[in-house]
Amino acid sequence: MASVDVALATISFKRKIAYKTTWVFSILFGGWSLLAGLAVWNHLIGDGELGGYDWPAMKAYLIIGFLTGTLAWAGSDWEMANRILDGLVAVDLTKPVDFQRARAAEYMGGMTASVPAAVLGTAAAVLIFQPAPPVSPLAGALTAFSLLFIFPLAFGISYLSILTCFVTQRYLGIQWAKDSMVAFFSGMMVPLALMPGWLQVLSWTMPFVHFTTTPASIYLGRVDTAGALGLIAAEAAWAVGLWAAGRLIWGGLVKKVTIHGG
Amino acid sequence: MPILEARSLTKNFRRPDKASGFKGAVTHLMQRKYKNYTAVNGIDLSIEAGESVAYVGPNGAGKSTTVKLLTGILKPSEGTVRVMGRDPHAERIANAHDIGVLFGQRTQLWWDLPVEESLKLLKHMYGVSDADYRARIARFDALLDLGEFMPALARTLSLGQRMRADLACALIHDPKMVYLDEPTIGLDISVKDRLRAFLREMADDGTTLLLTSHDLADIEEVCERIVVIDKGAIAYDGPIRQLKAHYITTKTVHLFLEGPADVPVLAEKFPDYDWAAGEAPSEVVVTYESNRFTTAEVLGSLTSRLAPRDLSLSEPSIEDVIRRLYAGELTE
Repeated sequence: MASVDVALATISFKRKIAYKTTWVFSILFGGWSLLAGLAVWNHLIGDGELGGYDWPAMKAYLIIGFLTGTLAWAGSDWEMANRILDGLVAVDLTKPVDFQRARAAEYMGGMTASVPAAVLGTAAAVLIFQPAPPVSPLAGALTAFSLLFIFPLAFGISYLSILTCFVTQRYLGIQWAKDSMVAFFSGMMVPLALMPGWLQVLSWTMPFVHFTTTPASIYLGRVDTAGALGLIAAEAAWAVGLWAAGRLIWGGLVKKVTIHGG
Repeated sequence: MPILEARSLTKNFRRPDKASGFKGAVTHLMQRKYKNYTAVNGIDLSIEAGESVAYVGPNGAGKSTTVKLLTGILKPSEGTVRVMGRDPHAERIANAHDIGVLFGQRTQLWWDLPVEESLKLLKHMYGVSDADYRARIARFDALLDLGEFMPALARTLSLGQRMRADLACALIHDPKMVYLDEPTIGLDISVKDRLRAFLREMADDGTTLLLTSHDLADIEEVCERIVVIDKGAIAYDGPIRQLKAHYITTKTVHLFLEGPADVPVLAEKFPDYDWAAGEAPSEVVVTYESNRFTTAEVLGSLTSRLAPRDLSLSEPSIEDVIRRLYAGELTE
């Protein structure tokens, strides 16, 4: 990684933590969502099981969902979108850096600011709620590895969504659509195992599934080692595919870009 | 070889053609209509290394669009641009290394971080060495008093401080070609003076400048050449000196006499000049053709025969000339 990527990621990290109150609120709110989820699923599962999840497994699933959600929602979609909507993209285009690569460094730097909150929150939740452990040490290691792909995947999806601003001139509806797709098809809201079969099949054809279902499936042993490696390969393929799609779309858009005003 | 060369540069845009009101909004939703318009229309522009060129025109004339075409932000609809031999759009990153750009209405500072952080990030982007960075920051500090707000968050800066910081950002890599789009917009007179002095020094040092501004004092103080653009096309391109010599053909003397001025009598006495009453009863305004009479001749004859209490001399400003160019009263 070149020094300019590190510098952009660092400056984005600093910007995130510059607003300490917002940062603390986001941690508290993330923790609240986890507590609410635990209360609801505890009530639904009781001593039995649902979709193959008993209560300890569901606790692990929800804590993984908390961890992945904290990371996935930590990017700076609006900052990227506003630069396009306000015309500040003009300034970005006068800099000697690849536009997509610079935005990726900024985005992932911003996500990194949420890592301490995600890790501390997860550690606290594990200590307090005693979820099921990983099915094996290898599964634990592969889960951790699969979580790393959330960074490029979150950027890839957000980048494609903000590029639509060149056409729509608005981001609000796009962001709602994107966030609801991520929340629903990742399994953050409801585990995919509880959805109708056709919806599960549909979910596995999209990148969103790798935000929660993939790491949780590896952790809980719902896939064997070969299956886990296959899922990680799919994450890598999506990361590359989203990157390539972003580059292709940007290449077309930048030829038609219009920036009105001085 | 020119450092910048544009040939038949044209940029067409498409704008929604939407009637006002609720009905217009609904109609546009169902049946989208667009209108094409030309922001820049076949501009030919050539700038030699070391030149300082003012690029002026009324609002909406196409100044900023031209700057965006020249800097590689926009792709021309037609025509070509070469900056230091490169196509600035196709070779955007390579071009960006050699140019500095300041948009007066858009900051390049990271809003929620100290100014110093923005400059350090740009140092990384442009690969500026530590020694060069320190030397340039010291120079900016000496000329722009940058040091006083380097640790301040960008969002807490006054407009004048923000503009000075943005100028430092645009120049931190010592670019060969600098584009300044409205660098003094909204600034008070003391900050304007300081910025102009800085720009003059840059121009004297041989940096190539293209400056757009509505403030013609910026232009007169910094630039030698002026390009006037109107409705996307060049209305005048030449030295400012020549523009003045060509179009400023009269000068004016304000005379303050001991008693009330009788304009018809004076006009009869000095038929070669135009006479008009001034604001005060004792003030009279004399206009003469500067290519027929020298100022010394005019003042000599007026002071010897009228013995005025006081006088002042003025000439039409470049602003007047450009206003008349915009209005189509003057042709090249």
